[in-house]
Amino acid sequence: MAGNIAKSLWLLFLSVVVCCLVYPLILWVIGQTGFPFEANGSLVNGPDGKPVGSLLIAEPFTRDEYFWPRPSAASYDASASASSTLAASNYLLRNRIAQALGPIVRYAGGPKAGQPVAPDIEAWFQRDRYHGAPHIVAQWADLHNELAQAWVGADPSHAAYVAGWVKAHPELAAKWAQDNPGSAAPAPADLSVVFFADFSSRYPGRFPSGVAKQLPSGKTETIIEPVATGVDIQATFFDMWRNDHPQVDLAGVPADMVTTSGSGLDPHITLDNAEYQLDRVAKKWAADTRRDPGQVRKEIQQLVTRSAFAPMGGLFGEKIVNVLQLNLELSRRYGRPPA
Amino acid sequence: MRSLQVWLLPASITLFTILVAFPLSRYMAWIMDGRYRAPRLLRWIEARLDSGAQDWKQYAVSLLVFNTLLFVYGYAVLALQPWMPLNPQHKGMLAPSTIFNSVASFMTNTNLQHYSGEVHLSNFSQVFFVILNQFVSASVGLCALTAIIRAFRGASRVGNYFVDMWRAVAYLFLPAALLLGVLFVSQGAPMTFASSYQVGTLEPNAMGTADNGQAKAQTLVVGPVAAEVPIMMLGTNGGGFYGMNEAHPYANPTAVSNFFVTFAMMVFPFALVLMYGRMLGRRRHSWVIFLVMLLLFVGTIGWAVWFDTLRGNPGLTAHQERALKIASAGRAGAATAVRLPATGGLPVDQHLGNLEGKELRFGTSAGATFGAVTVDVTCGAINCEQDSLNPLAGLSPMVGMWLNCIFGGKGVGMINLLLFLVIGVFLAGQMVGRTPEYLGRKIGAREMKLAVVALLVHPLLILGPSGLFAATAWGQKAEGNPGAHGFSEIVYQFSSASANNGSAFDGLGVTYGFNDNPNPSPEAVPWDLATGLVMLFSRYLPILAPMALAASLGLKKAAPSGLGTLRDDTFTFGCLLFGTIVIVGALLFMPVAALGPLAEHLGPIPFGG
Repeated sequence: MAGNIAKSLWLLFLSVVVCCLVYPLILWVIGQTGFPFEANGSLVNGPDGKPVGSLLIAEPFTRDEYFWPRPSAASYDASASASSTLAASNYLLRNRIAQALGPIVRYAGGPKAGQPVAPDIEAWFQRDRYHGAPHIVAQWADLHNELAQAWVGADPSHAAYVAGWVKAHPELAAKWAQDNPGSAAPAPADLSVVFFADFSSRYPGRFPSGVAKQLPSGKTETIIEPVATGVDIQATFFDMWRNDHPQVDLAGVPADMVTTSGSGLDPHITLDNAEYQLDRVAKKWAADTRRDPGQVRKEIQQLVTRSAFAPMGGLFGEKIVNVLQLNLELSRRYGRPPA
Repeated sequence: MRSLQVWLLPASITLFTILVAFPLSRYMAWIMDGRYRAPRLLRWIEARLDSGAQDWKQYAVSLLVFNTLLFVYGYAVLALQPWMPLNPQHKGMLAPSTIFNSVASFMTNTNLQHYSGEVHLSNFSQVFFVILNQFVSASVGLCALTAIIRAFRGASRVGNYFVDMWRAVAYLFLPAALLLGVLFVSQGAPMTFASSYQVGTLEPNAMGTADNGQAKAQTLVVGPVAAEVPIMMLGTNGGGFYGMNEAHPYANPTAVSNFFVTFAMMVFPFALVLMYGRMLGRRRHSWVIFLVMLLLFVGTIGWAVWFDTLRGNPGLTAHQERALKIASAGRAGAATAVRLPATGGLPVDQHLGNLEGKELRFGTSAGATFGAVTVDVTCGAINCEQDSLNPLAGLSPMVGMWLNCIFGGKGVGMINLLLFLVIGVFLAGQMVGRTPEYLGRKIGAREMKLAVVALLVHPLLILGPSGLFAATAWGQKAEGNPGAHGFSEIVYQFSSASANNGSAFDGLGVTYGFNDNPNPSPEAVPWDLATGLVMLFSRYLPILAPMALAASLGLKKAAPSGLGTLRDDTFTFGCLLFGTIVIVGALLFMPVAALGPLAEHLGPIPFGG
C-alpha cells in the first residue's frame, strides 16, 4: 500500500508538472508570439482607437443605424454565457418569438403584400373577439396563466397597478378568497387572472401599458393606462391574432433574427438577416448624412455582400456576416450617428 | 446544395477521423506495448513510476489508490481557490456539495458541470484542476482497456498501472493536445493568463447605463482557453472553460475549429477499437466491432440531423386541431377527452432547421452532428443547447448515453462493448446449444455474472435515481421546462452522469454556485450528491468487473477453433453484436424514451405557459 501511495504521488506530481506547467506554457509562448491578436481575445479598436469589443463576441446594438445581432439569452454578458434552454415544446419559446415578430411582420401576398401587419393586429384587438368569443385579454390571461403572472411581476409599476385595481374593486379579492379557501391573502401576481378578466370587461379592446406622461414639473413619467394601440399589443397578441388568421400569407423572418444562440454571444447573423435589416439601416444613415437613400443603400448593400462569408468556404453552410465588423465599417464610412 | 452542405459536414468529419485513426492506432499499440526506446530523461521518469509487473488485482488497487489521491487533490484545489494565485476577481469557494460533484465528475472523465466555468473558476483552478483531470482521467480508462487486452492475451501479469498512465498522458495525449492547441489559438481561442477585459461598446450605452451615469462596459472573460479545449476534446472529457462550452465563440471560434474539436473527440475512441485488434492480433475481429459501432454512430447522427436540421422547430409551425383521449391512471377504462385547438404557424423562415440554441458559424448541421457525436463517444461537450433540440432529435443523444458503447469514452466504451459482446456470444451459444466462447476460451458462470453485473449498473443508476427525482420535489422543482420535456431533463441528467458523459439539458436547476450564494437553486444539493455518487459508481464498477472477467477468461486454455466455433470476424457475428446491443438497450430504456422525448413529440406542442 505504501508503495502504491508513493508511486501515485510521483504520478500526480509528474502529471502536474507536465500538464499544468510545461504544456500551457508552451502554448502560451506560441500563442503570444505567433498569434498575439487571437491569443488575446481578438479585440478590435473603434474609430477613436479604443477597444470596442471582440470580433468573436456579440455586443448589443439598438440604434437603427446599425445591424442588430441575434437576440441573446445572456443579455450579451460575455462573463456569463447562457442559452435560453427553452424546449421546442415549451410555450414560452413560441411566445418569446411571437412577441419579437408582432411589430415587424409583413404580409407576403394578397392586396396588402409588403405592408406591416401591426395595424391590423391593433384593429382586431380593438374589436375584442377571439375565436368568436368576446374579451381577448381575459381569454389571453386564462389561456396563459404564466404569462399573465409574469406581466404582473415584470415591473413594479405593473404590480402597483394591479394592487390599486384590486383595492378599487374589493369584490375580486373576496371572490379569490372564496375560490381558494384557506389560502393567505393573495399577492398581486396571484390575482393576475381575475384582474385581467375584470379589466377586459371594463375596458374591452384595451390593455394596460406604460404611457410616457409629462408632469407639470417638466419631468416625464411612465404611467400604466388602458391603451388600444402600441408595441405592447402588437407583440403580446400577435400569436392570438395568428391563430385567428391562420391562412393569411405572411413573409417569413430569417430564423436567426428571432432565435437565441447557444452561447448568447454568437457574433454572426445570416446574410438573409442582414439583408432583411438593410432597408432600416440604409434609410437611417441616409437621413443622418442627408444623402440620397438609393445611393446609401447601394453602398451598404455592397459592404454587406463583401463582408459575407460561408463556413468552410461554403462547404458546410450558408453565408453569414460578422455584426461588429460590419458596424465598424459603417461607422468608419459615415462617422458617429448623431446623439 | 443545402442537403449537400448538411450531410457533407458529418460525412467529412467521420471519414477524416477514420483516416487518422489508422496510423494513430498503430502508434498507440506501439506505445502501450512499450516497444519504443525512450530517451534518457523519460527512462528516468519511467523508473520512478515503475513498481513492477502487476496482476489484475494489483493493477486495480493501484488504479483505485491513484484515483483516491486524485479526489483529495482535486477537492483541495477547488476548496482553496480563494487563496490561490491567478484569481484577480477574487472568486470565492464553491459550495462543498458542488465541489464534491465537480471533483467526482472530473476524475471520472464525466465533466458534468454544476457550475459555470467563466463565472465560478479562476484560471488557477482551470489549469490545475480541470486540465490536470482531463489529461489524467482520460488515461485511466485507456489503461484499464490495455490491462484487459493483456489479460485476454493470456498474461497473468497485466502490466504496470503507473507506467501505463504515464505513457498515455505524456506520449499520447500531450503531443496531440499541443498540435491541436496551436491550431485552436490560430483560430482565435484565447491563450493568456489574464482573466478578463473591460471594453466599451461601439454604440455607447448599448449595454445600459451604470448608476453613476457612465456607459456600461462589456466584460470579456479570457484565459488559457486554447490549452483546455484540446485535451477536453481529445480525452472525451467535455468540461468546458465556459459555461456554454464549445458553443462559446472563444472556445470554438470558427468552422475550422469546430471541425477539429469534433474530430478530436472522435479520434481516440475510433483508434482504440483498432488498437484492440492490433494488440490482440485479431484485426479482422476489431474491424467487425468497428463497423458495428460505426453503423450505430452514423445512425445517431443521421437521426439527429434529420429531425433537427432538416425540420424546423415545431414550436413555431402550424398544428392542426386535435382531439386526445387521456386514459385515467386510477380507473380502468375511464378517459378524459381533451381538445387541442389549431395553432397558426409563425412567419419564420426555418430553412436552416431549428436555430434555437444554435451558433451560425460552424455550418448548418454542426449542432445536431455534434450533439450526437458528443454522447456516442461520451465526451459531453456541446456546441449547441441540447435542451432546445427538437423533441425527436433529443432522443438521439439519450440513446447514445444509454447504449454507452457507440465507440464510447476512452477505453470504457470498448470495455462496455465487450460486455455486450459476451452477452451476445452467450445468447448465440444458448440458441445452438453450445458452450459460449470468446477468443477460443469458454465463458463460464463466473464470467457471465461479472458481465451482467457490470452491464446492469448503468440502467440501474439511470432509472432508479430518475424515478426517485421525478417523483419528488428534488426533480419536479428543478425542471426548467413543462411536461414530458421536464421529465426528459431529469432522465438526461442521470444518463449523462451514469454514462460518464457530462452533457446536459441545461434547463435543470442544479447550480448552487459559490458557497456564500444567498439564492442557490433550492434543489442543487440533492442533485450534486446524487449525480456525484452515480458518476463514481458507474465509473469504477464497469471498469473493475470487466478486468476481473478478462483475467479469469485469459487464464483459461484457448481451444483451437473448429467447425462448431462461432467465428468472431464475420458478417454474421457483426449482426449478432448489433442485435444484442439494440435489443438489450431497447428493452432497458424504451419505457423512459416513451415517457420523455416520444411523449413530447406526440403530445401537444406548444405546451404549458
